[in-house]
Amino acid sequence: MKMVLNTVRMIDHDQAREYTFGDSQSLKENLGIGYINPNDFEKLGLVKSLRVQLSNNYGQVIIKQEQKENVPEGIIIMPVSIWSNQVTGVENGEIIFKNIEVEVEATRDPVPDYKDLISKIKQD
Amino acid sequence: MERIPCTGCSLLCDDILIGTDGLFVDKIYGACLKGKERFDQVSSKNRLTSPMIRKSGNLENVSWDNALEKVKEILNASSKPLLYGFSTSNCEAQAKGIQLAKKINGFIDSNSVICLGKALNIAKETGITLTTLAEIINKTDLIVLWGSNAAESIPRLLNKILFSRGKFRMTGREIKTIIIIDPVKTASFGVMQLRDLALNIHTGKDLDLIRVLKEECCKEGSFPKEGVAGIDEEELKRLFLNLMGAENGVIFIGQGLLRPLPEVNVIKELFELVNLINLKQNKGRISVGLLGGHYNMFGFDQISLSLTGKNHSLQFSNNELVNTEDTIITKIEKDDFDCSIIVGTDPISHFPYSLSKKLASKPLIVIDNRKSATSDMAEIVLPSAITGIECEGLVYRFDHVPIELKKILNPPSGVLTDEEILNQIIQKIG
Repeated sequence: MKMVLNTVRMIDHDQAREYTFGDSQSLKENLGIGYINPNDFEKLGLVKSLRVQLSNNYGQVIIKQEQKENVPEGIIIMPVSIWSNQVTGVENGEIIFKNIEVEVEATRDPVPDYKDLISKIKQD
Repeated sequence: MERIPCTGCSLLCDDILIGTDGLFVDKIYGACLKGKERFDQVSSKNRLTSPMIRKSGNLENVSWDNALEKVKEILNASSKPLLYGFSTSNCEAQAKGIQLAKKINGFIDSNSVICLGKALNIAKETGITLTTLAEIINKTDLIVLWGSNAAESIPRLLNKILFSRGKFRMTGREIKTIIIIDPVKTASFGVMQLRDLALNIHTGKDLDLIRVLKEECCKEGSFPKEGVAGIDEEELKRLFLNLMGAENGVIFIGQGLLRPLPEVNVIKELFELVNLINLKQNKGRISVGLLGGHYNMFGFDQISLSLTGKNHSLQFSNNELVNTEDTIITKIEKDDFDCSIIVGTDPISHFPYSLSKKLASKPLIVIDNRKSATSDMAEIVLPSAITGIECEGLVYRFDHVPIELKKILNPPSGVLTDEEILNQIIQKIG
């Protein structure tokens, strides 16, 4: 299903805090996450234990999902992080943090670990 | 107890009381969650306290001499170094960074270039009516949050400006109106009361709303009956009335309004709208506030402007500033660099993957006080003191007012300030 991704700064999902006080597990728990409207949760055929895969021209990433009433339908909200940056990109020399089209689908595959994402950068 | 400015965010609250036993900050009064975390960083488990060099794939502790020798080696072999970050350093370190860039013929940029620093460039064409925090606290009767979730990004801002009783207004919250324009019902919506206006605009449609308001400024009665961008005609009228009737209004703009140039210049059109309103209304004025996150993001623009005449994206060649259209983003995108020095920021986490992998493919020198994805990719890590706690210095608040930070603790043994580290690099390369 096509959705629009907005990456944001969230006080409870702050990358600076996780790097300062957390570990690779808390990084994944608190930053590899996206919020969607309960109606989109239904449309995607999700249950709580499933993850979502976001993909677009920039790349793809699997994240944990949670429902939030205050997120409008068709939008997915993610904290800025090494997870969200897998599907953000550059246009006209500027970074696109918001209004990014993504294809979203339910998946049973796991959220990648912080170490996986770091290794991917090193390997490429 | 001592009263100090807090470096948790760009509001730089100057009413924080702290107590210290000389080693740690053990009492903190008045700080928000972000501010408190800043003080807790002093003893956090991921604090960087020793210089490190990557050997056989792993970062290993080394002496400062060894680390600086390795920095020298990388910089001597480089013809296109990049320097980036500096928005969590004081202005003295920012000036030192520019000095280093000049010496090594590098390119230097700050976080402001991917954030609201862009608005300052746009203002060169349109002008901008800025205001200060004191003005807002004491005089404002209308607060607009546009694409900004202040309750989470600058947590105490609304406490200070919405619930305060201003010196020139003997009434407080009861005469102040807040309007929030955002596609998401963020935490900031929690402060709204009956007279306030919550506008859940369709995502990415801010320009449509601005243009409709501009049109109404030029010709009354031009609001479309069907509304615009998810905002109905009645709400448009209320928004317009509030903007035109404010004695001292302020529009805070956040990251949500930034769009890639050049196709749509939302900020430019917003500044034009503010100018139109100020021309048309004779009761008062509307000003603009730029809500950046890092506590000294605008410091770099100020320092860079005063030292070089350009507020960011400085390219040096033959130890002189040369013209360039590049920014840190285009330099990395074009692979036009051969090493980088990153100061107090984490581009590997917040840049798109396509840029992160290019940045990580060249020698990366990190100056920071805590671990990050960027330090995890670095060739060399140089640990720094926490500015505003372990070192003093000048910084610029979100409203461009200079604030002097205090030093209240000594940094851990062997940890230097950003300014000292950059100075040592300058000395080392001779």
